[in-house]
Amino acid sequence: MRNILLIARREYLEQIRGKAFRITTIMIPVVFAGIMAVMILPSKYWTTQKDIVVAAQNPALAARLQQQLSADKDAKLTVGVLVPATEADRAKLHAEMDAKKIDGFLWVAAGADGKDVVTYVSRSAGDFTTDDRLDNDVNHALVERRLVTKGIPAAEVGPLTHRVDITTMVYRNGKEEPSSALSTLFFGEAMAFLLTFTVVMYGMNVGRSVIQEKTSRIFEVMLSTVKSTDMLAGKLIGIGAVGLTQILIWIVLGAVLLSSAFVEKWLSGEAKPQVSGVEILLLCIYFLLGYALYSALFAGLAATCDTEQELQQYAPLAAVPVWLSFGMFIYILGNPNSIWSVLISMFPPCAPITMAFRFSAQFPPLWQIALSLALLAVSIYIVLWLSSRVYRVGILMYGKRATLPEMIRWLRYS
Amino acid sequence: MPPVVALSHISKSYESKVAVEDLSLQIEPGSMFGLLGPNGSGKTSSIRMMIGITMPDSGSVSLFGKPYARESLKRVGYLPEERGLYKKMKVMEQLVFMGELRGLDKVTAGKRAHEWCEKLQIMEAVQKKTEELSKGMQQKIQFIATLMHDPELIVMDEPFSGLDPVNASLLQDTLIELKKAGKAILFSTHRMDQVEKMCDTICLIHRGHPVLQGGMREVKSRYERDHVAIDFEGDAGFLQHPAVESFKNYGGYAEIKLRPHADAQDLLRTAIAKAKIFRFELMEPSLEEIFIRTVGEKIDA
Repeated sequence: MRNILLIARREYLEQIRGKAFRITTIMIPVVFAGIMAVMILPSKYWTTQKDIVVAAQNPALAARLQQQLSADKDAKLTVGVLVPATEADRAKLHAEMDAKKIDGFLWVAAGADGKDVVTYVSRSAGDFTTDDRLDNDVNHALVERRLVTKGIPAAEVGPLTHRVDITTMVYRNGKEEPSSALSTLFFGEAMAFLLTFTVVMYGMNVGRSVIQEKTSRIFEVMLSTVKSTDMLAGKLIGIGAVGLTQILIWIVLGAVLLSSAFVEKWLSGEAKPQVSGVEILLLCIYFLLGYALYSALFAGLAATCDTEQELQQYAPLAAVPVWLSFGMFIYILGNPNSIWSVLISMFPPCAPITMAFRFSAQFPPLWQIALSLALLAVSIYIVLWLSSRVYRVGILMYGKRATLPEMIRWLRYS
Repeated sequence: MPPVVALSHISKSYESKVAVEDLSLQIEPGSMFGLLGPNGSGKTSSIRMMIGITMPDSGSVSLFGKPYARESLKRVGYLPEERGLYKKMKVMEQLVFMGELRGLDKVTAGKRAHEWCEKLQIMEAVQKKTEELSKGMQQKIQFIATLMHDPELIVMDEPFSGLDPVNASLLQDTLIELKKAGKAILFSTHRMDQVEKMCDTICLIHRGHPVLQGGMREVKSRYERDHVAIDFEGDAGFLQHPAVESFKNYGGYAEIKLRPHADAQDLLRTAIAKAKIFRFELMEPSLEEIFIRTVGEKIDA
């Protein structure tokens, strides 16, 4: 035990003092904040002004539509009117779009069965937010006009078609709290980002550290006093402690930042992400277990390699679960309790990241957390068992990368 | 007093290759043991089994009179052939760390490291990072790390390889001092000429088999003194003497190999009669020659 702690302390001090630790401690949050800013800010502040034209036969309807669309502040539309519109006008509108004078036009025509047919022609495809708003506004205006044509006084139409906005609240810890999709997204992504980087980065770190000891030929010196399993354990503990230190630094920084006036202003109108102590504790546990899984794997693989380049070939083993988890991000946020969300959060390599997503969407049932932790623990035990055997033989083998059959033979060496 | 190391009929094979076969040896306290043989002959494999890095397939290892146990390693200092240091660590930190791993407390480790650094004249390097040091310096630090916990058994695999002559003799002197202090020392080397003077006991191994074993004097006495070195001036005609099997004449200095059981004294008489002799030395064969004669083939140096 004394030796394990000595090795862990050496490993911890070397990494904490290293340049890489300081750089990643600062850079990861900065990079993350940068990504979030790129994702959120432009759609919030820098959407471009759009010029569109409403073309209709009925002047009253066209005017109502113009009024409705212009009133929508978020849409940032400049709306022109063309009445009465004929087929020849359509060609003219096309010409204006070619000349980039307008971005699009709304064509309102009466269909054969008396229903209105509305077409939006635009220069850019796939502008979801504009489509959504047009849909809303056009329907609203059409309903109003139909009511008016049915003889309801115009003054009463307004209150009748009054819109209601839904306020979303989240029920957790026995309280209703305001929630917003944005802060959920932000929080889920922040936790997952943090976990991914630390788990995978420190897992790879262990691998690199093994390679360095191998190339510096320190192993045989160490093995004459220390058992190989003690070396492995000391290394995992030491580097894991470095990762935990980094996470704690971020949590403290994050708490300070979230309570600062700057964020208050930046998140104006958005609910602050709610993080409970239990979640932070679970986050740390998931970090430790996820880290143990990946680092044990990479320690074993690194022992079979001679250079970091060779180790890089195994990087997809870490990358694939990460892609898979992030690919499920939106789905899990929307359906945190569906069978797929539950299954992937049970799958050990994906569990730490996907559980972070689920925490941010809805706190999962305790048995699911317990089960996913248990599965993680079992898989760590298996990987560690295999890795320590490969490690023991591999660290004294120099020359070339071991093949799979060789590794399997090493497992049988006593 | 029991032998410090006793290997009894140990064997080890890897895959299809036999690394060591049926090796037995004993190392006494206060003696220097040379494990000699060409590259790839099984020296390192034997040493690894001796200190439990690998286990023998058959046979037994005992240290300090007891069957092998990890506990015994606290009394062993091992310097492997493939040796390294933590590059980013400072020399003093590194030595203290190694000392602590071998059971010393921090203060004692620091004190001993300091003493050794003074003795080996590397005080100016102790606050530097290992990667900033020359190769020779690093090797000295490795020696210190091996010796810091005052081990009773010192095992060094090719300790002289890569050392410049000054440092090699510094290490030799240190080892002889340790031997006089009662430590058992084993080292392996493929440079047999380097160690002739130092070893009390030797074991020559070839392709995993021990081929020649015993006290240095005893091994040498098994072989005839059949080499003559002569410094002379004048007629070299004595080189045609019937006792001479072959010779190399460098002009004023000649090396002669005698026929088996030839009379060297008669050769000397003939030489004195014909030339002026400054030196006539009847030499024992070198270890390297003994080895070559034993295995009957050339070794790579």
